[in-house]
Amino acid sequence: MNEILTQLSDCIEFGKINMASPYPPQMKGQEGADELTAKALAEGINPQDVLTLGLMPGMERIGLKFRENKVFVPQVLMSAKAMSTAMLHLKPHFLSGAAKQKGTFIIGTVLGDLHDIGKNLVSMMVEGSGYKVIDLGTDVGSDKFIAALKDHPGAVVGLSALLTTTMVNMQAITKEIKDAMPGTLITIGGAPVNEDFCNKIGADSYSADPQGVVEFLNRKLAS
Amino acid sequence: MVKEFAFGFKELVIDHKLMAGVMGYENGQLPPPFDEYMETALQEAATLNDIRASYLLIDNSRIDKGRKVLYARENEFNIGNAVCNELNGAERFAFYVCTAGKTISDKSVSMLKGEDPVLGYVYDILGSAIAEAAGDKMQLFLKNEVGKAGEKTTNRYSPGYCQWSVGDQHKLFSLFGEAPCGVSLTQSALMQPVKSISGVIGIGKNVEFREYQCSLCFSENCVYRRIRGI
Repeated sequence: MNEILTQLSDCIEFGKINMASPYPPQMKGQEGADELTAKALAEGINPQDVLTLGLMPGMERIGLKFRENKVFVPQVLMSAKAMSTAMLHLKPHFLSGAAKQKGTFIIGTVLGDLHDIGKNLVSMMVEGSGYKVIDLGTDVGSDKFIAALKDHPGAVVGLSALLTTTMVNMQAITKEIKDAMPGTLITIGGAPVNEDFCNKIGADSYSADPQGVVEFLNRKLAS
Repeated sequence: MVKEFAFGFKELVIDHKLMAGVMGYENGQLPPPFDEYMETALQEAATLNDIRASYLLIDNSRIDKGRKVLYARENEFNIGNAVCNELNGAERFAFYVCTAGKTISDKSVSMLKGEDPVLGYVYDILGSAIAEAAGDKMQLFLKNEVGKAGEKTTNRYSPGYCQWSVGDQHKLFSLFGEAPCGVSLTQSALMQPVKSISGVIGIGKNVEFREYQCSLCFSENCVYRRIRGI
């Protein structure tokens, strides 16, 4: 594989944003995701390859490390910062069609709940894994999910909740989405929910961590 | 009787080791650059002027051990078996609300949304630690006050933990009337500012203060279980 792409995937994995960033200490003074993405595109590397061979492998590695408790939320957020910096360079290529994302994921924290750290982590990880993400924010009811689905047919929906009082809203939102847009796939997550709850409310998947959502999307959208 | 407090950040004892643990670093040490992020947040926190706490003492209250219910004024709190046992022997109760304030809560949310998610996350963790530290200081005051009459206090227990439904927050807040410490509730019982805590402390000559034990609680994904290696 191209050396720049290998370096780029390392920058994502270790959260090296740009040359000026002192983090991580072992990469201090080196080019980061910002410079390397620009350099890769300037050297004529296909934007699709920059995404799938450079950025995505790094994001997958950090996602797996997070699942295995080898890294923690701050490190994932640094990786996400590096990823979003790189994505700024790729954005024009997504718009022109020179690079394609694997599908669309609509995510929101359910009605009544304002917690968004877990939702943001999933959002960043999914985007870094090659999907277009529509983040509806917090306190989101079924009407907003359905409107977003109408704008993005075939998208998968992610519902997040942190409270036992708001997880119950997942049931109504899931039903209303499925009634309005039959066939829509819904994945749920958050501290109080589990596989049994997922089955009970008629959602399609429960994930205990962000990488689980990526794996579900890869099975359903990218296969 | 409602007792209210306004605390300066420097008056509070912040548990740095616990903050590092909550962030995943179980040895209590934040590695670079997160130690610098925390230093930035701590310096900013020193300027906070909206850290508040209050408690309301209710004398005519009792627990029905059979029904696992705490009666306070016209409210029935379904506190569950574990909290019921912890409050056993209490003759009166202090309901409390404490907050790290709107400033740090809002800062965390806005940073997380865009400007700097890592710093936003650090503010989020620090905000939680401030709310708990305000609770500790309020609780110490209460302990000393009731201690003058030979009474003791239990640890503090909150709706949402140990099978006590978080929906009971609405009853708890109704005891105070207007938003205590400026804290209000959403319909789903979420406190705003988000970095706030609420609950009850048992008071009596025969109560005991017991440290929190994860075995009392059924929250399997709780971060404190991970820190304690349970």
